[in-house]
Amino acid sequence: MKICVDLVRCQLHGQCAIAAPKLFSFGEDGKLQWVEQVDESARREAEEAADVCPEQAITIED
Amino acid sequence: MSETAVAELPFLNLSDPSFSIRSQAVREARDQSWCARTPYGLAVLRYEEVGKLLRDPRLRQGSYAWPAHNQATGRFAEWWLAMLLNRIGEDHARLRRLANPAFSPKLIGALKPKFEALAHELIDGFAKRGTCDFMAEFSEPYATRVICILLELDQSEWRNLADIAGEMGLALGVTYKQDVARVNAATDRLYNYVQRVIAERRKRPPADDFVSLLLQANENKDTLSDQELDDMVVLAVFGGIDTTRNQLGLALGMFIDNPAQWQLLAEQPELARPAVEEVMRTRPTTTWVTRETMEDITVNDLPIKKGTTLHLFAESAGTDPAVFTPGFDISVKRMPHFGFGGGTHHCLGHFIARGDMTEALRILAQRIRNPRYDGAATWLPDSGNTGAVKLPIIFDPEPT
Ligand code: HEM
Ligand code: HEM
Ligand code: SF4
Repeated sequence: MKICVDLVRCQLHGQCAIAAPKLFSFGEDGKLQWVEQVDESARREAEEAADVCPEQAITIED
Repeated sequence: MSETAVAELPFLNLSDPSFSIRSQAVREARDQSWCARTPYGLAVLRYEEVGKLLRDPRLRQGSYAWPAHNQATGRFAEWWLAMLLNRIGEDHARLRRLANPAFSPKLIGALKPKFEALAHELIDGFAKRGTCDFMAEFSEPYATRVICILLELDQSEWRNLADIAGEMGLALGVTYKQDVARVNAATDRLYNYVQRVIAERRKRPPADDFVSLLLQANENKDTLSDQELDDMVVLAVFGGIDTTRNQLGLALGMFIDNPAQWQLLAEQPELARPAVEEVMRTRPTTTWVTRETMEDITVNDLPIKKGTTLHLFAESAGTDPAVFTPGFDISVKRMPHFGFGGGTHHCLGHFIARGDMTEALRILAQRIRNPRYDGAATWLPDSGNTGAVKLPIIFDPEPT
């Protein structure tokens, strides 16, 4: 499955990186980085990140 | 690049009891610079810098020193230091991860019909009379009973909880020092109450309500200790009541001042959601949040020493003319506001608050037509966490 972040909505709160540190992080340049293609075993973590994002910018495509 | 000298910055006297976040002085300071001096640290005034600094990992939440600043000790001070808002780094992240499922947007959807029924019940109490004190008869019971719904507490407990939250809230005011015994007694009462609820909830079969979800995290004590569980529930009560109560009163005030917008909301109920955002942008109850620098930093050529308190002005950023066209208009698409803070401490309860305030405003606009002030409202100082104390209104009575 694929993790998508709408970077227009994203306000860089970093709640995704708190909820799912293996999938989301910030680069040296302060930009949001995330693992785009993940397998089924990461579903719970990915959904958790999508859930907590205050701007609801994260979607998961199967 | 040349360094800016602190002495050249405008000065805002936050200690003056009559200081107002909406004053001409703040507007002029914001025109002059992104930053102002205050009797205690710096105030950040513009949208761009408030947004950047809220997310800056070199700053920590600045309120942890507040009880010590007032030489206050006791139950409230202990809780204050232990709770989520004042934790930092990985420790904060761990607690936040554990609390997240209990604050999920999925949970809130199911509560909406209950918010709606509650709003109607309260409005039934005064709609035919054509007058009410909006704070005492709507926003306070609404905000408190929403927390009762969330925690599945007996609705009849609401008066008790509202009083406790109010007394604890004195700790955030300028009279904390005088009130310290009352504040601690209220904190004790809340802990006793929360512990009773948790003990009772442990006996029930596992479910997916708020307290049960926290209890599941607490099954492994290393993940979430008993003490941390209590602290979290106390935070939901304390952090959720006065904020929502005040924000709803400020919302009604904005609409009384802008009657065409209230009319628009009554005609287009789907604007209730954007209305919440527009109110929080222009009239946030949390007028600023506090941060402290953990190292020397430089912002826009201004060197800022480690240990400096920064007041990030949500109101002044939300009305920054560099980003927002002037006025209050619920039908215009706007940039995000900072009424829920931002970054790692972004309000955990925002899905709940947005959900319950949307329902409240939608239903109020339908039933309370043509609201006006009925005599003088009384307001808290227009700084820190603000709102109305009393908000007497008159409106067109519902036909009997
Ligand atoms: C209109 C209502 C509300 C407003 C205006 C509001 C505002 C805020 C703000 C500005 C912050 C950030 C403080 C900072 O960064 O220094 C915050 C944090 C927080 N809020 Fe709210 N809040 C509201 C409702 C709620 C509700 C209903 C709950 C719980 C049921 C809640 C729980 C929390 C918690 C737990 C935090 C701390 C988060 C952390 O430190 O990670 N809030 N709130
Ligand atoms: C001379 C110094 C200061 C002045 C004049 C000042 C002024 C104020 C005022 C007027 C309020 C609103 C009170 C109310 O709600 O009635 C407030 C709230 C608050 N202040 Fe201060 N303050 C000062 C220093 C500090 C310091 C050093 C801290 C913490 C390190 C702090 C943390 C807070 C907190 C946590 C609140 C509650 C609202 C919020 O978080 O925004 N203040 N302050
Ligand atoms: S939580 Fe949402 S808004 Fe915040 S950084 Fe992640 S994607 Fe962006």
